[in-house]
Amino acid sequence: MSNGQPQIVIDKVSHMYRPPRGKPVLALDDVSLQVGTREFLALLGPSGCGKSTLLYLLGGFLPIEKGAITVDSKPVAAPGPDRGIVFQHFALFPWKTVRDNILYGLERQSMPKDERLARAQSFIDLVGLSGFEDSFPSQLSGGMKQRTALARTLAFDPKILLMDEPFGALDAQTRHLMQGELLNIWQRTPKTVIFVTHDVQEAVYLADRVAVMTARPGRIKTIVDTKFDKNDPGIFKTKVFVDKVDELWGLVRDEAIKAERRKV
Amino acid sequence: MARTDAVAEQETLALEAPGRSLVRRILWGAAHLISIAALVIAWEGLARSGTFTPFVLPSLSSVIERIWSDAQSGELAINTGLTVYRALVGFLISAVFGILIGLAMSRNVVANWFFDPVVSVGFPMPKIAFLPVVILWLGVYDVSKITMIVVDAIFPVIAATVIAIKGVERELIWSARNMGASDRELMWQIVLPAAMPQILTGLQVALPLSMIVAVVAEMLMGGYGLGGAMMTASRFADSRGVFAGIVEIAIVGYVLVKGMSLLRRRLLIWHQEANEPTTA
Repeated sequence: MSNGQPQIVIDKVSHMYRPPRGKPVLALDDVSLQVGTREFLALLGPSGCGKSTLLYLLGGFLPIEKGAITVDSKPVAAPGPDRGIVFQHFALFPWKTVRDNILYGLERQSMPKDERLARAQSFIDLVGLSGFEDSFPSQLSGGMKQRTALARTLAFDPKILLMDEPFGALDAQTRHLMQGELLNIWQRTPKTVIFVTHDVQEAVYLADRVAVMTARPGRIKTIVDTKFDKNDPGIFKTKVFVDKVDELWGLVRDEAIKAERRKV
Repeated sequence: MARTDAVAEQETLALEAPGRSLVRRILWGAAHLISIAALVIAWEGLARSGTFTPFVLPSLSSVIERIWSDAQSGELAINTGLTVYRALVGFLISAVFGILIGLAMSRNVVANWFFDPVVSVGFPMPKIAFLPVVILWLGVYDVSKITMIVVDAIFPVIAATVIAIKGVERELIWSARNMGASDRELMWQIVLPAAMPQILTGLQVALPLSMIVAVVAEMLMGGYGLGGAMMTASRFADSRGVFAGIVEIAIVGYVLVKGMSLLRRRLLIWHQEANEPTTA
């Protein structure tokens, strides 16, 4: 919250999800939220609570029907490279190599070719994919695919990073490694991050603040401050961490149960 | 962790590959030949057993002799060349316009409103019914034969393109938009390549169809070409000539389809399927 006005202002946003068949469903109900510059905010909630929808509205991928979202005081109207997104299932271009995937965003910016290539290489190195520049996504493991997707988005230097359960499709060990790396990268590159997850521990570990959402229709139930020293290697065993996880788990459990009942 | 896993996986694949694949390849090749060889032997044996007269079933060896003499006279090259030329030109026109119409239908409401009923009615319809009309309008030469091929082969291409584009992941399009792709870039750089595997499947249906219609059109309209030559042979009660045509068509069709599947492997080198063993 550097200059008075927060960087992202979500003001009374509601969203109807209209399935191709069947009745429209209220996915988001009157959601208001403010996120400051360089803040790492996690959106935590049970599956189907509309947290991804909120991210897509912020990204400009879905039309805002009710309420308003502004980024740097400008209303969000369309997708733009100021808000980079990373999807759960990577969304890499499978016919492009790792390098060409990362170059795609850079090619759309006025940048000399040498600079583009150097920049792509530096992000390949950053996420530890040196040696795999010419591999196709189908030849990579899940973790490597997500590293590529992360590098691709970081490369075009968005001010805001939108992450839609980015580690949800990875195995537990890889996920744990990637969380550490993301935190590392975030501490080195100044970016605002909005991170959608249903993993309580992940939210507490990564975020400065955690916004807990209710089961459908999604509302912000409460916002919990989770800002403490994340570089402590034994953080997962500290009392402050365990207490936070416990507190948030208590908040999210009721919603998860509600969401689970509705599926039956 | 993830990286070392993938590396290890690649190494084990590389270690297993040479020994196994060589034996496998030979066995597979042999298995494919066995069924063809059985058919050939059965034909030759049946023809020589005297069960049928040579008029009803000429022996394969006499048919091959006939193909050989046609090849030497140059007739084989003319007939095969003409049929392949018509089939391929018809196929290419179907491919280009089929993909363009499919793209237009996916992008444009008006195009979809116009073409969707045409495709729904036209696809299942036996298009050979248009033959008399096409003859009246365009005569009996190449233009009308190629028109018949296009009328048939364009439908699977349109249908495959429309379905393929519908199936392109939303996230892929969003990613490209996120990086600043324009509508035009999105279409040619993202949607089309992402839809390519399924579009190629449509083309793989259209190619043999082009060959079939080429032969049928030649049979019904006459003139040179493998189909026309077979009808001529039939009218002159030249049974060996007819069977020679069947063998020639089988070989040409096989070569075309095989070529297409090689082209597919080439174009989809990035696709998961390129890492899998081939079945043909």
